[in-house]
Amino acid sequence: MIRTYRALLIAQIQAASQYRVQSILWMLFSVMRPVIFLAAWVAVANAQGGQIGAYDTRDFAGYYVALALVTNLAFSWNAYDFEFEIRMGRLSPKLLRPLHPIHYAVVDNLVWKATTMIPLLLILAVVIVTFDARFRTTPAHILLFVPSVLLAGALTFLGGWFLATTAFWTTRVHAVSTLWDRAVFIFAGQIAPLALLPGVLKTISLALPFGYMLGVPTEILRGGVDVPTALVLIGGQAFWVVVFYIAFLRLWRVGVRQYSAVGA
Amino acid sequence: MIVRYVRLLWIFLRTEMQYELEYRTNLALDIVQSLVIMGTSVGAVLVLFSYTTVLNGWDLGAMLVLLGCFYLVQGFSEFVLAPSFEKFMEHVRMGTLDFALLKPASPQFLVTLRQFRVTELTQFVLGAVIVVVALSRMSGVGVYQGVGFAVALLCGFTLVYALLLALSTFAFWFVRVDNLMAIYWSFLDAGRFPVDIYPGWLRLTLSTAVPIGIAVTVPAQAISGRLDPFGLGLLVIGTVAAFVVASWFWRLGLRSYTGASA
Repeated sequence: MIRTYRALLIAQIQAASQYRVQSILWMLFSVMRPVIFLAAWVAVANAQGGQIGAYDTRDFAGYYVALALVTNLAFSWNAYDFEFEIRMGRLSPKLLRPLHPIHYAVVDNLVWKATTMIPLLLILAVVIVTFDARFRTTPAHILLFVPSVLLAGALTFLGGWFLATTAFWTTRVHAVSTLWDRAVFIFAGQIAPLALLPGVLKTISLALPFGYMLGVPTEILRGGVDVPTALVLIGGQAFWVVVFYIAFLRLWRVGVRQYSAVGA
Repeated sequence: MIVRYVRLLWIFLRTEMQYELEYRTNLALDIVQSLVIMGTSVGAVLVLFSYTTVLNGWDLGAMLVLLGCFYLVQGFSEFVLAPSFEKFMEHVRMGTLDFALLKPASPQFLVTLRQFRVTELTQFVLGAVIVVVALSRMSGVGVYQGVGFAVALLCGFTLVYALLLALSTFAFWFVRVDNLMAIYWSFLDAGRFPVDIYPGWLRLTLSTAVPIGIAVTVPAQAISGRLDPFGLGLLVIGTVAAFVVASWFWRLGLRSYTGASA
């Protein structure tokens, strides 16, 4: 398995190195939304004397810088490709290979994250200076951040694949993934830190998987929650990863059995 | 002359509409998607305004007008510009642009306003609905503001058109420029808030190189009565300049076009 992964990684890095400019431009997508909402919250905080709840303007900056980093590290967009592969019949040859198609997606993501990391950090450095970001991170937070961001990555990845697998039946998952994206938009910590979501929205974000995808690792990286709370939140992440892992395996097994290439 | 072009435009639009109506379930799903996207965007603004009544001088009503303008501009660019320019780049790649060049009408017109994605009209319409609903919360909207709004919005559309035209013209030399178009799409999201809340470097980008900030913010300012005639005049001049330069650049690029295997 390790050898397989090494071969895949090398092939993917070679492929990615042909598209250097592309990867830098696409990284803008991870950065823009956090910066936009950062600017909005800074404006709100300034209108209210510089403080909203436990956040002042510098905390917002810390939060959204961490969010951009987490978005880049944890997010994956493969669900869109999968629908396309099914519709174009490109899935069929992959199914015949001795490796589960999901591994190609894993490698794809790893390489993309590695290649975009340096330009991303440069841009985030600019944002940190512009907004004078403050981090309350302690060494314990960094230790906890590692499992938290890994779980978040696994969660968004499996969640995306769970949705994508429904394309075995519908061949179009665009509508479903839009719903999913917008739930992430509201509940995952993009439009506001989870702690600032009003009443019921905050409850929903932590009762459903969405808050654990971005908001939780972001707060841990920023040092916005204490260690016991962080541990509970990581527990929540682990729970949802297990749920989606089982659900995905089940759905895949049923789906692939009744899959027939489009046009067959 | 203008009548002829309007008629052509109508024919393009009608055929596209007939084609799209063949996929009715798809159409219905697209409308639902647009509703969800709008609803959540309005929700995000409401969350922000649950903590304040004014955001950098913008109250909730003005902010919702701005959001409506954002979807008007985005709807417009996804309705006609994005599909047309994508097709244009494909033409350059495949060498099939000849077919457009040989027709007895302005090539720029035939290429840039040719394709329509009718489903994106829902975004446009819903954007207009948001503007109208938000306006009903505001007072003091007169004829003058209405005219200013219409002019500013038209300028906004034209600015986006000029930007995409200039970006896609690079296809004449580099063939594959999807990446350059991604610049536009990644900055587009910034249009959902007034351009004046952003830090200097971003505000500058959104006002000049990628003028989405201007295209969305100025119409919203106009209708809430915060745009003086001087600002509007400046916008019109800037827009005309952008259009002229982009068109010139396009013709320059066109000169270096060669058909496939030529």
